[in-house]
Amino acid sequence: MAFSDDVRRIRAIVWKDLTTERRSKAGFNSVASLGVTILVLFGLALGPDGKALHDAAAGALWLAILFAGVLAFNRSYQVELDGGALEALLLYPGARWAIFAGKLIANLIFVTLMLVIVVAVGIVLFSVDVPATWPRIVLIMMLGVVGIVSLGTFYAAMSSRSRAREVLLPLLLYPMLIPVLLAAMSATKALLFGDVMNEAGAWMQMLVIFDVIFLVATFLAFEYVIEV
Amino acid sequence: MFPAHPNQFGPPKPAPAWLGWLAFLFFVFAQVFSVVTSPADAMMGHLQKNMYVHVPAAWVAFGAFGVVLVASLYFLWRDDERADLLAASSAEVGSLFCGLTLVLGMLWGRPTWGVWWSWDARLTTTLVLFLIFVGYLALRSFVEDPHRRGQWSAAVGILGAINVPIVWMSVQWWRTLHQIQSNPRGLSPVYLRGLLLNVAAFTLLTIWFIWRRYEAARYERAAEHAAQAAALGGYNA
Amino acid sequence: MPSGMAGGGVGYVVASYVITWVVLGAMLMRTVSSVRRARAEYDQAAKGEFRT
Repeated sequence: MAFSDDVRRIRAIVWKDLTTERRSKAGFNSVASLGVTILVLFGLALGPDGKALHDAAAGALWLAILFAGVLAFNRSYQVELDGGALEALLLYPGARWAIFAGKLIANLIFVTLMLVIVVAVGIVLFSVDVPATWPRIVLIMMLGVVGIVSLGTFYAAMSSRSRAREVLLPLLLYPMLIPVLLAAMSATKALLFGDVMNEAGAWMQMLVIFDVIFLVATFLAFEYVIEV
Repeated sequence: MFPAHPNQFGPPKPAPAWLGWLAFLFFVFAQVFSVVTSPADAMMGHLQKNMYVHVPAAWVAFGAFGVVLVASLYFLWRDDERADLLAASSAEVGSLFCGLTLVLGMLWGRPTWGVWWSWDARLTTTLVLFLIFVGYLALRSFVEDPHRRGQWSAAVGILGAINVPIVWMSVQWWRTLHQIQSNPRGLSPVYLRGLLLNVAAFTLLTIWFIWRRYEAARYERAAEHAAQAAALGGYNA
Repeated sequence: MPSGMAGGGVGYVVASYVITWVVLGAMLMRTVSSVRRARAEYDQAAKGEFRT
């Protein structure tokens, strides 16, 4: 069964990446702290007026997740490159997309954990009233994270192996993420304000479409990016 | 003596000199002719003449990015390095015209709308497209290995092209207040003639620019191949 | 109707044509010189190949 082999490979890569993170912890702690720090900076830029903070909360949250997440994506390949492990990983038999899927899932878990911390701090700092529709906000956050992580994991496969990786990843990634971010921010904002215009559902549908398109595109293109 | 690699190509066939002269003379003619012959518009006054530079620049920019998409797909399909060099040349020329489009659009928007910039779908999508191709060119300059550079930039170019309709859709939805499409059928014949003339002139110029940039890239690669062959020959002897 | 549409737009029109011509002129110089340089580089390399 070729497919179950791929699933085993994916699981092995996810496990390996998460174990590395768990053993060192420094990576996660610093990335999550950076997310919180960015939120504080946004608060200083927009505050101290409570209403302004409240209005901007959705945007600030997503940008904090984005800025901190970018560091996670480069790291995820950086640890491989330092030990020359990526070449070894590529030498193992099996489909290349399994490597991408493994990295993607590991990054998803990493960013989701960071998101929990950032959102918790954001609710406090930006005086957000959690609405009754909070399960939908959670769903939107998951969809948004899938979009950010799929493109981020894909572009980091290139930028982490080039010169100037620090500047190249944001330069390539941010313009590509504009639709995902726009949809995620708008949906979150709409729900935080009671969804009076009834637009959150439409944004959520768009987010699902974007996620599917970008997931398919990155899975197909990864083959070409990783083999050289 | 050496196995002929498919990408071990020689020097390019130069673009014909008459094409360059034709492109530039026709461009000067089209610009002067359209400005001189078109009367001041009843609504927009002389501002209407912005159309003869802004609209053609936008069209050729999008056309050049279309060439990038096709050449990138061909490169991934056939692994022909010449397609990669063509994509790079088109991306460069396309970014130039895309940037020009944005600046010219602002020079029209300021006196017409009273603002330099408006967050409508067309402007925002053009800006995002420009940023994507700035990233594309940066990626190329940061990667040395030609094969790796080709594969990576092809992936970035194709994903960037996929992103264009998606950005359009999301911004359209985000900001439903948008401008009406510039539609050639709604123009009076005197303006339409000037516009089409300039679109033709810009297209010729773009073809010539891309061709010459491609030529330069081919020479550079051919020089590297020749230097490599010389070094290998010296080593073997 | 915002002010500047009727008569004051001429400055903006002149600016847009000046910018277009300057940008395209610069691109022309850059393109021609890059082809010339690359060609000289190639001729040099090709000569080197024949000498060895």
